[in-house]
Amino acid sequence: MSTLATPHGRRGVLAAAAVTVTLGVAGTTAVIVGLQPSGGPPQPPVAASSSTSGPSAPGTPPTSGTTRDAIGFSAKTLSRSRPVSIAIASIGVDSKTLVNLGKQADGSLQVPTDFGKAGWYVDGPAPGQFGPAVIAGHVDSTNGPGIFYQLGALRPGATVTVGRADGSTARFMVDKVARYPKDRFPTSAVYGDTTQRAELRLITCGGGFDRKTGHYLDNVVAFAHLL
Amino acid sequence: MRRSMRLAPLVLALPLSLPFVGVGTAWADGSATANLTPVVVNGSNGSGTAMVTVTGNKIEFTLAASGLAAGPHAAHIHFGADARHECPAVSDEKDGDGRLSTTEGGPAYGAVVVSLTKTGDTSPTSGLAVDRFGSGTSIQYMRGGVTVAPEIATAIEKGQALVVVHGVSYTGAKAQAKSDLNPALPASATDPAICGVLSASPSGGAGTGAGGTAPTQNEGLLALGGIGLLAAAGTGAFAARRARS
Repeated sequence: MSTLATPHGRRGVLAAAAVTVTLGVAGTTAVIVGLQPSGGPPQPPVAASSSTSGPSAPGTPPTSGTTRDAIGFSAKTLSRSRPVSIAIASIGVDSKTLVNLGKQADGSLQVPTDFGKAGWYVDGPAPGQFGPAVIAGHVDSTNGPGIFYQLGALRPGATVTVGRADGSTARFMVDKVARYPKDRFPTSAVYGDTTQRAELRLITCGGGFDRKTGHYLDNVVAFAHLL
Repeated sequence: MRRSMRLAPLVLALPLSLPFVGVGTAWADGSATANLTPVVVNGSNGSGTAMVTVTGNKIEFTLAASGLAAGPHAAHIHFGADARHECPAVSDEKDGDGRLSTTEGGPAYGAVVVSLTKTGDTSPTSGLAVDRFGSGTSIQYMRGGVTVAPEIATAIEKGQALVVVHGVSYTGAKAQAKSDLNPALPASATDPAICGVLSASPSGGAGTGAGGTAPTQNEGLLALGGIGLLAAAGTGAFAARRARS
């Protein structure tokens, strides 16, 4: 057992070491790249799971037996009129059509059959009416982007314009965009009486996609208020 | 170094299993909304929104309406097991006096089960406590901690309860009519103005995507990377043995 490696042996060691480094770096890179989402819709951060209250409610909720009368309420509301169009310039949404959405037999929100159209939840307020109006659209179809593909890239301060059947226009400012696991969807914050003004919710899908069920695991929700 | 590299594929592969955690049951929290629209016959131009959140046997409600007649506006949650669970139809105006009284609306929306007062008692006995309701052409208030019977909470969640706001403006003979609920009050003070069925909010999330643009974890690359790392471990071991020899 010699302590001095032959030149041939030394070259072999160096070659083996070089191959080791190359394979290691390439292998690690491949694993990292393989784990990275390649493209896909923009994803806002997942909201704290305890967000059962409205993220943008300007006041504190009433305590037991107390009432708040007008104070804290915004008087700026529109009467009920069906929404007919939606435009969000900052993410390239401009649709002259909105479909009506109700509830499915299992109680969940209906979704548009057309991936290129957004829909309005008719059993909630109309955009501009007091309370949270809800408009949902697909992030993608089976083969390409849907109307709300870029919803996750929407930022607070952006403007959403909803045209209404009575000819009026309701303009909203985005307060927050967040992602929620569907099994911990904040129903009260999205649909409930957590606001004292006319608000708007925009809903699409996000997070990981479960190819077994054919559904995304999260919902992306944008919260906005009437300007 | 070699050891950590060899472990790397295993460690990095762990997150792969996380996206496949099953989608659990919906997080039901009993929120419901009523779109308040004019009651037929009575000529109100009002509209509004009533929202109710049910937590056990407690409710929190918000009532906002505009375009109403001047004067007080008694407001209630109505429910009747035998009622039609809907706002009155023109055919509910049975006596031909040109107005639809609160009583005539009963077959459609049932009896008063909660008085949506601003203060004090909220039972049906406060149904005409006009000094504790909203007043004027526009009303907006909210209140929490209102106790309801279990069957009322269930009715709200089933979409069988309604919100009715009373108080209209009549002219002519109708302005002289007495209330069917309390002859000391004019009919215009208690006849229903706007009405809406409390509809439970959709449960859970929305299926708004089909996955066509979903990011994929490149399994081919992952396998290749794993092989590369195992090979690196092998050649590294070889190099180390040669260097020691």
